[in-house]
Amino acid sequence: MQTILSLQNITKQYPGVTALKNFSLDIREGEIHALLGENGAGKSTLIKVISGAIAPDDGTIYFTRSRNEYNQLNPSLAKDEGVEVIYQEFNLIDSLTAAENICLGEKYGRLVNYEIMKKKAADIFKQFNIDINPTALVSELSTAQQQIVEIAKAVSRDANILIMDEPSASLSVSEVKCLFEIIYKLKEKGVTIIYISHIIDEIFEIADRVTVMRDGNYIDTKNTSNTSRKELINLMVGRELKETYPERDTSSQEVMLEVKNLYGNGVKDISFAVKKGEILGLSGLVGAGRTEAARVIFGAEEKESGQIFINGKQVMINKPEDAIKLGIGYIPEDRKKQGCFLEKNVRWNISFANLKNISHYLIVNQKKEEQTAEKYKELLNIKTPSLYQIVKNLSGGNQQKVVLAKTLAVNSEIIIFDEPTRGIDVGTKQEIYELMCELSKQGIAIIMISSDMEEILGMSDRILVLTKGRIAGEVQKEDFSQDYILELASGN
Amino acid sequence: MYIKSLALDVLKKYAIILVLVGIIILFSLISPYFFSWRNLVNIFIQQSYVIIAALGLSFVMISGGMDLSIGYQISLVGVITAMSMVWFNLSIPVAIMLGIITGICLGLFNGLASITLKVHSLIITLGTMTIFQGISYIITNSNPIYGLASEFKFIGQGYILGIPFSVILMIIFALVASFILNKTYFGRYVYAIGGNEEAARLSGVNVKKMKLLIFSLSGLFVATAAIILVSRAGSATSATGVGTEFTCITAAVLGGVSFKGGSGKVWGVITGVLILGVLSNGMQIVGLGVYPQYIAKGLVLLGAVGFDTYQKTKKGKDNKILKNDNSKEITTV
Ligand SMILES: Nc1ncnc2c1ncn2[C@@H]1O[C@H](COP(=O)(O)OP(=O)(O)OP(=O)(O)O)[C@@H](O)[C@H]1O
Ligand SMILES: [Mg+2]
Repeated sequence: MQTILSLQNITKQYPGVTALKNFSLDIREGEIHALLGENGAGKSTLIKVISGAIAPDDGTIYFTRSRNEYNQLNPSLAKDEGVEVIYQEFNLIDSLTAAENICLGEKYGRLVNYEIMKKKAADIFKQFNIDINPTALVSELSTAQQQIVEIAKAVSRDANILIMDEPSASLSVSEVKCLFEIIYKLKEKGVTIIYISHIIDEIFEIADRVTVMRDGNYIDTKNTSNTSRKELINLMVGRELKETYPERDTSSQEVMLEVKNLYGNGVKDISFAVKKGEILGLSGLVGAGRTEAARVIFGAEEKESGQIFINGKQVMINKPEDAIKLGIGYIPEDRKKQGCFLEKNVRWNISFANLKNISHYLIVNQKKEEQTAEKYKELLNIKTPSLYQIVKNLSGGNQQKVVLAKTLAVNSEIIIFDEPTRGIDVGTKQEIYELMCELSKQGIAIIMISSDMEEILGMSDRILVLTKGRIAGEVQKEDFSQDYILELASGN
Repeated sequence: MYIKSLALDVLKKYAIILVLVGIIILFSLISPYFFSWRNLVNIFIQQSYVIIAALGLSFVMISGGMDLSIGYQISLVGVITAMSMVWFNLSIPVAIMLGIITGICLGLFNGLASITLKVHSLIITLGTMTIFQGISYIITNSNPIYGLASEFKFIGQGYILGIPFSVILMIIFALVASFILNKTYFGRYVYAIGGNEEAARLSGVNVKKMKLLIFSLSGLFVATAAIILVSRAGSATSATGVGTEFTCITAAVLGGVSFKGGSGKVWGVITGVLILGVLSNGMQIVGLGVYPQYIAKGLVLLGAVGFDTYQKTKKGKDNKILKNDNSKEITTV
């Protein structure tokens, strides 16, 4: 097969970090090429170089079709070369509708034609088998729905090279399946695809070849047909990695949090209990109401009716502040909008939710602050040149770790993890699982919302499946199976 | 390479201090009267109340808000303080207390209005500004209030150990503001609300309560500024202080307080006020009237903002095609 894009000796340095070191790679025409590497390995930086979002310090980018060689691009030049990108961080305009976002920058005749736009959007949503109103404002959509709009936007344009940076991170199994179908269709049409994901099974499922990178270096490119998960992980982290879901003793019977007949924010009649030291999984399709329910419990959205009990005592939670005072921690799903303060540094972010506890009267104890930040940086493997790097400059996965650290630094008794490992590499995932087990051993009750089926099956003691805002069923550990959960989730 | 970029960073960060020094040098070269101890102290006396008011505004702006009503807050506080002393014969401390409480209440009112109406404080204070104006003029009926006690005038005109009292007050308020913003969790919350209100809320910050506190604190600073100004002028009118809001906003933006919220530093705001102050003082000494001063201030602001955006977007040029083999192809075909 012929090369369509050739990267030669690309180098990109940031203060304190070399994001790409002398990186060379040939992408073949019509292939699905996966990029794999730990958080901060330089994947997103690489694709930003290809899309012209950033300029490399050194190296060249060569497009075979046009025979153009650049030492740096800009977004409009990259578009001219047929490059379309789905970035890891969304680039949607909140105040426009889904359809308008998808068709942004396209022209149909002289005037804006809403009918064509709506139809185009509706067609793509139908392919995904997902219920998104093309005229809904993006700000009203859930994270997964926004991801699909983002995908639709890139897919709807005629690209030669389509780059997807962790498109599946916020999707659940069934949407990922639809995504793959779309990718296959594009491949048939001859589109070349560069695909980034931390979920190795996905890479085996769709990619032809996979390139592993580590600390900005090119490590190796393999055909997916003759490599193994183990080999890839080995290349990626540079050592053997034990991948297991840690064993735990789950004998506690003491109920910690109980929710009775909860209504509000689109959820209906939710009742459940979590025991001390238990990990309760919440599963369901996109829009099933998992996050919505969590936010009502946490006081982030208004409750219409229902009761919440902690340790048997009824509590009133009207705002997040109340929930936190009662010992509930919530790790939000959207790190950029709800999780971190992008313009502030790592230390500032990690200590933020815990400030009152490390303050004497009003004064923040900066030494304790430093210690907490240092501790979580080590514990969660946050890759940053220093605690004083602003969070905006971290890689996506490392931003996610900062968000985790921020909530974990407050010693809560009940913690709600909403898509905790979204965008996090295999090695660190393992560490997060161990950390969650450690917390549960200390008697902390955990509610875990996750679209990663393997993770939720591996970590939970019990799974609640939601559909359309209601509980569709409860699955005990001995009955755990992907098919059963999917069946419940689809509402049959 | 990194030393160079580090040096550039430092330069960028402290650029406005260089601007201030530059203007001072410029005026010193043009006029021998400018760079005298007396004149420099004079500038500080003139600007002390503006600095205090601008610091108050900074709390609001860092938290992502805006306050256009500062000018009429000064007017109203000044009038009420003067009225208490002159018309009701209240003692000076009581009158000052009343003035300060008025300021806090006005701030609180702004805060309450913006959280209950859920509208950006820019719009809210556009409304409250005219409300405060109306109240102030109804009280004075457009007449100045004269006859303030000389003890009261000490605040704006007196000296302690050779240092103007108003400047001492200014230094105290600057230290307090700096302490609050840098050392306390309250200060962190102010930045957090401006940086990402939703993330702050989900981290347990009571955003509504914080907004009330921030506006009240701002009101306290503005009221102090008002008392200094009235004391220095020796009388109060409803027009006293009007227009200060724009000087404060200009100074804050010059000093690096972001319009979007989330960032800003006390030293930056002070430098911003001093740049404007030196500019008008210097131009006056040089013999340029008030109108050219307006133009100069506007240009300085645009220059500073332009420099900032230029720094942020200075990348992604030179995307020239290195080489294109098509030409070769055409000749071979
Ligand atoms: N604007 C920036 N300023 C400073 N450092 C940066 C900047 N952008 C990226 N980096 C650094 O470059 C390195 C590579 O980041 P990149 O985003 O490419 O990682 P990634 O492989 O995409 O990771 P992830 O899996 O977490 O998304 C990281 O160490 C990151 O901190
Ligand atoms: Mg990335």
